[in-house]
Amino acid sequence: MKSLSKTSLTLLVLMGVFTALAVGFVLNLWGRPTPRLEIPLVDPAFISTATVRTSYAELVANKEDLSDFDCYGCHEKNKPPTLRFDADHNLIIPQEHSDIVMKHGSHNRNNLCFNCHDETNLEVLQTRDGRQLKFSESTQLCGSCHGPNYRDWEAGAHGRTSGFWNRSMGPITRKDCVSCHNPHAPKFPGRKPAPPPHPLRPLAKPTLTTEGEH
Amino acid sequence: MSQDPSHKENIPALDADGLSRRSFLRTSAVFTTGLAAIAAGLAPLRNLKDFTSMEQFVQKYYKELTPEDMEKVLKRIENEVEKQYGIRPHVRDLKPMDGVEYVYCLNLSRCIGCRKCVHACVAENNQSRNPEIQYIRVLKMTNGSFDMEKAEHDYDPAMVPEKGHFYMPVQCQQCHNPPCVKVCPVHATWQETDGITVIDYDWCIGCRYCEAACPYWARRFNFAKPSIPKERLNPNMAYLGNRPRKQGVMEKCHFCIQRTRAGRYPACVEVCPAGTRKFGNILDPNSEVSYILKNKRVFIQLKEELGTSPRFFYYFDV
Amino acid sequence: MITAIRNYFIFLLRCARIAFVGDWRYYAWMGTLTVFCILGLNAYAKQFANGLVVTGMSDQVSWGVYIANFTFLVGVAAAAVMMVIPVYIYDNEELHDLVIFGELLAVAAILMCLAFVTVDLGRPDRFWHLIPGLGQLNFPASMLSWDVIVLNGYLLLNVHICGYLLYSRYHGRKPARWFYIPFVFIAIFWAISIHTVTAFLYVGLGGRPFWNSAIIGPRFLASAFTAGPALIILALQVIRRVTKYNISDKALLTLRSIVQVSMIINVFLLVCEIFTEFYSGGLHVVSSKYLYLGFHGYHALVPWIWTAITFNLTAMVLLVLPVSRSLRWLNLTCMLCITGIWIEKGMGLVIPGFIPTPLGEMAEYSPSLNEALVCFGIWAFGLLCYTIFLRMAVPILQGNISKANEGEFLRTAAQQEVREPLS
Repeated sequence: MKSLSKTSLTLLVLMGVFTALAVGFVLNLWGRPTPRLEIPLVDPAFISTATVRTSYAELVANKEDLSDFDCYGCHEKNKPPTLRFDADHNLIIPQEHSDIVMKHGSHNRNNLCFNCHDETNLEVLQTRDGRQLKFSESTQLCGSCHGPNYRDWEAGAHGRTSGFWNRSMGPITRKDCVSCHNPHAPKFPGRKPAPPPHPLRPLAKPTLTTEGEH
Repeated sequence: MSQDPSHKENIPALDADGLSRRSFLRTSAVFTTGLAAIAAGLAPLRNLKDFTSMEQFVQKYYKELTPEDMEKVLKRIENEVEKQYGIRPHVRDLKPMDGVEYVYCLNLSRCIGCRKCVHACVAENNQSRNPEIQYIRVLKMTNGSFDMEKAEHDYDPAMVPEKGHFYMPVQCQQCHNPPCVKVCPVHATWQETDGITVIDYDWCIGCRYCEAACPYWARRFNFAKPSIPKERLNPNMAYLGNRPRKQGVMEKCHFCIQRTRAGRYPACVEVCPAGTRKFGNILDPNSEVSYILKNKRVFIQLKEELGTSPRFFYYFDV
Repeated sequence: MITAIRNYFIFLLRCARIAFVGDWRYYAWMGTLTVFCILGLNAYAKQFANGLVVTGMSDQVSWGVYIANFTFLVGVAAAAVMMVIPVYIYDNEELHDLVIFGELLAVAAILMCLAFVTVDLGRPDRFWHLIPGLGQLNFPASMLSWDVIVLNGYLLLNVHICGYLLYSRYHGRKPARWFYIPFVFIAIFWAISIHTVTAFLYVGLGGRPFWNSAIIGPRFLASAFTAGPALIILALQVIRRVTKYNISDKALLTLRSIVQVSMIINVFLLVCEIFTEFYSGGLHVVSSKYLYLGFHGYHALVPWIWTAITFNLTAMVLLVLPVSRSLRWLNLTCMLCITGIWIEKGMGLVIPGFIPTPLGEMAEYSPSLNEALVCFGIWAFGLLCYTIFLRMAVPILQGNISKANEGEFLRTAAQQEVREPLS
């Protein structure tokens, strides 16, 4: 047989390459997508609408344990408790109430039990102008000093509003102050944030913080 | 038959009908192997399942669908979701309410950066968990500067908020003058009368021009088939809202259209523990957003200078 | 009427047939290109099945090499028609036939552009949404809708002009002026418009300050008119080599002067842009900082852009010096131009527009293997088309395929092989 012409040789090589390609495709030899990073599902606590605390009104409504509010279980009626102070005039928390941390603002005058509690009747709260309020009405007490926040709260601008923005279609619910704020240490608590976003193509180096060249 | 001796090529012997058997054979052989290579090359298309159905392929544009057409479309979507997740959803086509224009106010004094809004949104709106799609991005900013170049996106300390910083969540600003609507070549995204910029997921061609145009990086693309865990599927769906999207289309925050057009707050508002987020109808003088815009002072609209006129008002009040 | 259809059909048949005839070098070239096309097809099938996650793109950098190549090739398509200007406006007969080669390059380039845009779509099966009347084309608000119209119109324009001129030459008739001259003049304006529309795609985005600059349009045109004619200079020399078609050096030198002026303007516009960005400073120049200097420790594009600038400057100097009149130097200069401008338009324009994101997040981009295979596949497809077009056009222009020898063709197909070799 004559030696193959250049054309035949070229076409033969091409046939070989095509066949190799076909095999490569079917066996999926290259270009496999890199497996994606496993992203764990977020902790359901991060999508819960529960508030950090439960107010007295909610405890009553949910028929929960109210023993924490049974003051005369330990105290004697008609005997107002005495407050004790240290050398710097800071309130000393009695050990029976050791779970309470008094941090209602930074000034000593705000950290007195009977600013809010009525010493003559421990089952009610008292305002500065002498009104007595039930525990379920504690919001009125907060509002009697914290006017701007209270007005915002009434308008729906402070604290979370839930339910229907369209009042004609359903009710709006507002939480009491104490559902979010501990009345003894009202600063809104910090917490662990939910995990940061997982980008599709993570950067090779971590993002530098704000300091540095810009 | 003359053979030009100056030809370098060796021309094969020709038979009676003018075609050389050898040249025909070799050409067909090459062709066959070539076609085999092409057919084999298309093998990955085997993995294409549930990409599209005939009805979805010929489906008309949202604004051209009659109520009967829409019924059929909603049924189709319910069937598809049931097939894929084993849960039969309830898909509705909610129309905008009259006399309503939504506005969002976000109190930057209150945001603690917990990212609960991000995940509530993901849960409510059936976003893909892997690849991860999140409509809301929370930026950790430094007190005293509004420079987003200096913001951190991936903060993960033991406790938020961190001293010296404030947190700014950003999502679709539902601009009055949306650049994304302007650039979409097929009108797949438009603004409705109640102010929400929506996407017709069955019309989008996935060119990602809107993603390039958005100054707030608010739009997300489905680079792969979205994966939603069955147990976390939200079956209350809307056509323009949280029905599961397919590979190759855009999506973004739509103010939880399935909730808001039924009169409820969006998921991000419902979950925020600090009460940072406020939502409502600006045309209603008694809404909390009207109260805020009337009574608070310093408002920031992001990138105001671009003329997008966003419906998001960030403010500080302490 | 029937004869006309029959004649046209036979013309097409002969054109199609000649594309499969050639010597071993032709088969090697076409075979290699086909191999790359098939590789690209497979890569695209993977992308179609698995989604664009197989590319290197992300929400942060949502356009990549596909759109970069698209941008570059629209420029080539626009500039390919540039030779029309000296021929038809300045009556330069030297370049007359070369117009067809330029327009065929434009057709091939437009086909590549359309291919690049299609592979970039998330839902290419929904392309019919773009057809006015059938779909909902957002004209005139969306610049992409303008692009759809002008690119397809440009394709039809060039196919008409080339087709008509070649068919007339096939018949040995002088082409009727009214049937192609108006289209030629329309093509000149249309060429500028396709590239301006593509520039406006970027310029119109207020949220991306790197692109939102008036200089982008002129930069596009200047770089297109540098890279396009440079490509044509190289292509014409290849044609001269593999066919016996006579192309004078004078034609090449005329094209060289176009490249020369355009490159000088291109470099000047670059200087303008760098000054504007870096002298005034401010927040909006972050993307430029990232591109030219690196930013916050991320500097993937810095070597690319400085290579491009070096190439462009070297090419400019060579073009200005008489040494580039010699073909060896001219060819080197052309390759520097094409590479430099490809990098500048691709890495230097599309990618930095996304980095950092509008929210200030840093991201980086590099194409995946799959993406690269698709790109090579489309480039191979374009070269395949152009080779086929030339394989058809050159014999017609030389008179080897004409109506006169139709009879011989019908008698023995094989004799065509003897009469119409490549060399």
